[in-house]
Amino acid sequence: MTTMMERPTPTSGDAPKVGIIRHLNVFTAFAVGALTAIIVWRLSLALLPADSESAPLFTREDKITLLSMIGWFVGFMTGIGALVAPFRWVMGKDLSHDENMFLAGKDMGTKRYFRYTTDHKVVGIQYLVITMVIFGIGGILAMLIRANLGTPEGGWIHPQAYNSIVGTHGIIMIVGTIIMVTGPFGNYIMPIMIGARDMAFPRLNALSFWLIVAAAIPLIWGQFIGGISTGWSAYNPLAGQAPLGMNGYIMFICIFALSTMVAGANITTTVVRMRAKGMTWNRTPIFIYGVVASVALALPAFPVFFLSQVMSGMDRALGTSFYDTARGGSGWLYENLFWIMGHPEVYVILIPAVAALMEMAPVFTRRPLFSFNVAVMGIAGICGLSVLVWAHHMYISGWAPLLNAPFMLTTELISIPTGMLFLVLIGTLWRGRLWMTVPTMSIFALLWNFMIGGVTGIYLSDVPADAFLHGSMYVTAHFHYTLMGAGLTGALAALVYWFPKMTGRMLDKKLSWISFWLVQIGFNVAFIGMFLVGLQGQPRRVEAYAAIFNKGNLVTSIGAATIMTGMLVLLAAVIGSWRSGVKAPMNPWQAKSLEWTVPNPVPLENFETLPVVTEDVYGYGRKN
Amino acid sequence: MPDTNTPYFTGQWWKRKDVKRHAVLWVILTAFIGYVGTEVQVRAMGAPASETMENVINLMRIFTWAASPVAAFAAAIAIGALMGKRHYGDNPPPESEHAIRNSPRAIALWIVVSALMCLFALVVGLIALQKDDARLLDAKAIHINVVGQQWAWNYDYPGSAGVRSEVLHLPVDQPVVFHVTSKDVKHSFWLVQLGVKIDANPGQFTETSVTPNKIGTFDIRCAELCGLLHAYMQNKVIVESKADYEAWLASQPDTGKTTWVEEKAAA
Repeated sequence: MTTMMERPTPTSGDAPKVGIIRHLNVFTAFAVGALTAIIVWRLSLALLPADSESAPLFTREDKITLLSMIGWFVGFMTGIGALVAPFRWVMGKDLSHDENMFLAGKDMGTKRYFRYTTDHKVVGIQYLVITMVIFGIGGILAMLIRANLGTPEGGWIHPQAYNSIVGTHGIIMIVGTIIMVTGPFGNYIMPIMIGARDMAFPRLNALSFWLIVAAAIPLIWGQFIGGISTGWSAYNPLAGQAPLGMNGYIMFICIFALSTMVAGANITTTVVRMRAKGMTWNRTPIFIYGVVASVALALPAFPVFFLSQVMSGMDRALGTSFYDTARGGSGWLYENLFWIMGHPEVYVILIPAVAALMEMAPVFTRRPLFSFNVAVMGIAGICGLSVLVWAHHMYISGWAPLLNAPFMLTTELISIPTGMLFLVLIGTLWRGRLWMTVPTMSIFALLWNFMIGGVTGIYLSDVPADAFLHGSMYVTAHFHYTLMGAGLTGALAALVYWFPKMTGRMLDKKLSWISFWLVQIGFNVAFIGMFLVGLQGQPRRVEAYAAIFNKGNLVTSIGAATIMTGMLVLLAAVIGSWRSGVKAPMNPWQAKSLEWTVPNPVPLENFETLPVVTEDVYGYGRKN
Repeated sequence: MPDTNTPYFTGQWWKRKDVKRHAVLWVILTAFIGYVGTEVQVRAMGAPASETMENVINLMRIFTWAASPVAAFAAAIAIGALMGKRHYGDNPPPESEHAIRNSPRAIALWIVVSALMCLFALVVGLIALQKDDARLLDAKAIHINVVGQQWAWNYDYPGSAGVRSEVLHLPVDQPVVFHVTSKDVKHSFWLVQLGVKIDANPGQFTETSVTPNKIGTFDIRCAELCGLLHAYMQNKVIVESKADYEAWLASQPDTGKTTWVEEKAAA
């Protein structure tokens, strides 16, 4: 007989000791958020003094709106449970083991998707769903735009509402494309791919997702108090003149920028610190490079965006004059801040999508990736140059005509690293053996779309040609070709490729093929039509146009409807396959990267024993 | 990383059948992409009404033709791959018969060619830019003041003791410098068929210049979202013979306001 006490181990029968976290979920978050917003609203209504005669228009209302939105934000984050752990820590305690397991969503079923869950796989699925929701709303807004442009007179949507729809479509699609790869796949797949049990900071991971949900409400709120009638770029002084809805945009950007910064720090740290033993930088899959480049590029970009909107909000609510020319400010300052974020941001969107396709190319051609080193150098080169090109959005703004030539130089230089990515893809296709799947065809679609997007980018990078093309539909078509034709194509391929690992089921083959062709054909019809009206002289963001643009706009509308159909087919495929698709084997594509070595469904903490990596993941092809 | 294969481009590689096939495809595609790319775009742009616009159209031609071999190269390899061995089914195809990971020669060639093309684009662009900039300093130019406001353009003419119009009148073959500003928010002053555009910023003047070389009526549009009726902020520019222009200017009522250009001269 021994008298030693055995260490008590929690058995499955015991109820785990979980404090207040047990009661917090998305519903409490919405309730506390709404309540706080209402309280702050009533208080500020009662307490804020009336504006003096000399104050600019709207100031008091702007203060009240912004304060209520901040109240919402703080309330929501409290209600979801984001503050529990920091609060405990300040009190000198920490979360218990049970609470940490609870937060990780252990044995919780679907409820974990509605909580502040830290498991990276839950966060990945949450990101996937919210990305789909964003694309759904953004797509509906796009269809409304096309509907209004059905006739030259436009007119069935009020111009103010039309401008707001254009702005909202723009900003939420930008946000959707920013998170579409690094969100779902960067969170779900990336940690498994590098052989880690979770992210470096799991709570920050949950935070980054719930910040996006918190951000969405001010944007929706803004729609009901005047809308965002400035386009997604929200240039000042137009934004200063815009109705109260502009505050929704400002809060949305501030919170979303926080989310991006948090996610960027988390993903970068995870990749730098937590790769499996033996996974040297030379053996790290190229997709990981793409994800890390994307979020690391967002790290300098988004604080600037945050700042630009804080200043915009202060101009509106506190009577400062950062952007007010009449009182010493400058609209050019806003443009600079905006595009210092705005140009790296397009590569934040593009790089991970292209990298995902580079990851898939060897799998579906059964040969090694052609020149991994060039791929890495291309990504690094784009990252480096992308922070030096912002003023090509301002060639004709008159801000600094003398700088047009140097910015033309940096912009054209970026075609060299971009060309490297093309070289890697076509080099991998060269003498490969094609396995005809949707991801394989997506590589071809990307080459086609990105080639058009890239070459039209050369015209736009050229100052004299830009003096004609800037602000026209040509620009709109160009960036849809890059962000949608290249970016979204890569993201949809990633969805098909990683769907079996994320859901345990294969994505319906037939429907995903139908969707692929509808989206790609519709896309090219829509945006080639848009190029043509741009060349004919149709400005962007107009709700009515001259009769000569009629044909091109009709073509674009037909194409847009085809894209919408294709996306609906994809949605049906995703929902249907997720519920009752064919069960996926562990490694349906016979790929060599680590995420395919874990069983379906992926267990909590992914690996029982951490893997050791001895070679890179591209060892395909017969070695003669 | 070791190259696990015998290099592909050895011996008389240019005589290989698949290399020849790709080369033929490349030439055909270059011609096709270059021709279609330029023709479709240039036709959509319509007839130019100034040398500036002719330059823009020429730039579009040059860049399209310069880019078409590169685009055609990628397209030839892509089409070549699609026409090669394809595998359908749920299980992966057998491994491809090589494991080439690298080709220093191909990489070096690609980077050098893309750098040269980049340099070419830059030089062509700088030459065109220099022409545009030089025009701003033309001593023979007349100076017109352009004021944007929500949602119309106003023009003040020189030597007219205060003629102001909403439809722009320009004499043909006469260099014009525009001094553009805005009363409220940012607008963008776009003379479509004349190929120039410059933003109108509140509190600042920006300059652009053009020499219309064709008599006719052309479009002016605002190219920067400027609020509710941005889509309707468009009007015409009437380019007419010097005599017609003078006659029109003389027939206009004197608003009594001197133009800012003269104010500046007086100062």
